[in-house]
Amino acid sequence: MTNPLLEVKHLKKYFPLKGSRTDYLKAVDDVSFTVNQGEVLGIVGESGCGKSTMGKTLIQLFTPTEGEILLNGENITVLSSKKVRQKRREMQIIFQDPFASLNPRMKVFKIIEEPLVNFRIGTKEERKQRVYDVAKQVGLTHKQLERFPHEFSGGQRQRIGIARALVSNPKLIVADEPVSALDVSIQSQVLNIMKDLKKELNLTYIFISHDLSVVHHFCDRIGVMYLGKIVEIADKHELFNNPKHPYTKALLSALPKSHPLQEKERIVLKGDVPNPANPPSGCTFHTRCPNCMEICKVTTPVLKSISDKHEVSCLLYEELEERVL
Amino acid sequence: MGVNILEVKDLKIGFKHDKKEIAIVNGISLQLEKGKTLGIVGESGCGKSMTSLSLMGLLPSGVDWQNGDIYIDQIQINKNLKKDWRKIRGKKISMIFQEPMSSLNPVYKVGSQIVEMILSHESISKKEAHERAVDMIRLVGIPRPERVVNEYPHQLSGGMRQRVMIAMALACNPEILIADEPTTALDVTIQAQILELMKDLQEKLQMSIILITHDLGVVAEICERVIVMYAGEIVEEATVLNLFNHPLHPYTKGLINSLPNIDAEQEYLSSINGVVPAPADMPLGCRFFDRCEFATDKCQNKPSLFTTNIGTSVRCWIYENGELEGGM
Repeated sequence: MTNPLLEVKHLKKYFPLKGSRTDYLKAVDDVSFTVNQGEVLGIVGESGCGKSTMGKTLIQLFTPTEGEILLNGENITVLSSKKVRQKRREMQIIFQDPFASLNPRMKVFKIIEEPLVNFRIGTKEERKQRVYDVAKQVGLTHKQLERFPHEFSGGQRQRIGIARALVSNPKLIVADEPVSALDVSIQSQVLNIMKDLKKELNLTYIFISHDLSVVHHFCDRIGVMYLGKIVEIADKHELFNNPKHPYTKALLSALPKSHPLQEKERIVLKGDVPNPANPPSGCTFHTRCPNCMEICKVTTPVLKSISDKHEVSCLLYEELEERVL
Repeated sequence: MGVNILEVKDLKIGFKHDKKEIAIVNGISLQLEKGKTLGIVGESGCGKSMTSLSLMGLLPSGVDWQNGDIYIDQIQINKNLKKDWRKIRGKKISMIFQEPMSSLNPVYKVGSQIVEMILSHESISKKEAHERAVDMIRLVGIPRPERVVNEYPHQLSGGMRQRVMIAMALACNPEILIADEPTTALDVTIQAQILELMKDLQEKLQMSIILITHDLGVVAEICERVIVMYAGEIVEEATVLNLFNHPLHPYTKGLINSLPNIDAEQEYLSSINGVVPAPADMPLGCRFFDRCEFATDKCQNKPSLFTTNIGTSVRCWIYENGELEGGM
């Protein structure tokens, strides 16, 4: 087995609520997981579940409230901001919106080169060569590098975003909904490029998405988030064939059919996601859970391993375990 | 065959640029049967939203209606008369939009927005209209409707807002509902709720629906017939079963193949090369020519919609004589 590249321990990110010193919005609440070198970990969840905040906290765009993030065994949460900047050579992010994440007044060449300038890598000539190399890998021509972002389509802009993330030779890439803004035919082009790059460069991805079919295609392991917590994490086949948490089950059953004749048993969840500033007591899912028990309203479940590579945070399974013992 | 409640003939929409007429919708004809759901699928910029806006007489300024007639219940609509349109909108045809936040007025209570719409079409008292609004909100499955009518849009979640939009669209019992990407902005669990609701209401109210989407999964879920649009033209029209079992047009095939399939393990997704051509420089022949792997010299000429022996119409020279090859 390979060593974990990234180890996250009890990560928390709380935002203070306006006008209050005691109340917090718990965007990420006690999340732990590991990612191995060369692995793709998918994070799925609905809007507002904290998946993007977690992505940004992982590469220290947000300072975590509590918890440790170990990159190659080194805790990066205690580093000085100067050192954190240097660490970002090794971890980069690709954003969702290819329209908003590129500076409209910079030429593409400059955009891709900028990380190298920031990290003071190489001479001008070396940087130029590096930008050309990366551009080639993502399928951009030399001529295109002299243009401005507005001259590109969504798919091409996302390639620029990928090139910028890759140029400093990172080990870990956090991809925050990288294909959500793209049309399906373009989405598959971008996913294929990302997959090629992963193989070529032995990259590790954390792939954040709300689209289960994309995550199923792209990831090795999948974590499901609900209101700032990971409620289930497992190997992708295990998660899709043998989901345990009632929320995962509902999420999978809510996927649209892939063929009109497909029979689907729907678990339609009641209501909406509760306000994260004021989450329910006990298990945060109990207000919508079809299997809710009395105990769920008061006891908070923790993520427990139920089989090899399958962890779930639900009292249904904790009880079972005790009975077996 | 049922009765066609809506018929569109040879619709052309375009705008002027550099003194040239540029067509964004180029000759669309469609029929909607009573009580059925017609899906219109295509990627961004294919003209599907413009088509739906034209059915409501809501084309933005600068965009011209160049050609085409619309018939509702076999009666032709005079597309130039604003007064006519006002009678049709909301009463005969209603529309729900993709983004429920920006299509509700943030400074009015949701109840008054529904009441306003009812009063502009029916001569009933304000009180009755208010009661109808409460009933409609109850109908779309919002708990505590008496309270929600007095709330503002920002107090509701995305799924709730979309339900309010549906309630408003249905308040005057329209015969046709146009849903433009109704679930695109919503999460999957909420999407499932809204689709169930639409199916349910269609059965109850005998509505006919045009569903515009880029999501083939949503199509599989609720449509009976499907139109696939590419670059302002219909490239394929089929029953939903034929579309999934025998997609014919190379573009449709590409679209279906580029979806990740949950039931299968794929190393790479197939994709369609290139991008949609810009409206200003459309290829003269087949508009899919540049991106098509089966393109031949013949494709320099414009194909028409050929009807095949399984009933699907397809705009591609491969099916010129109406036969499917290789016994698909």
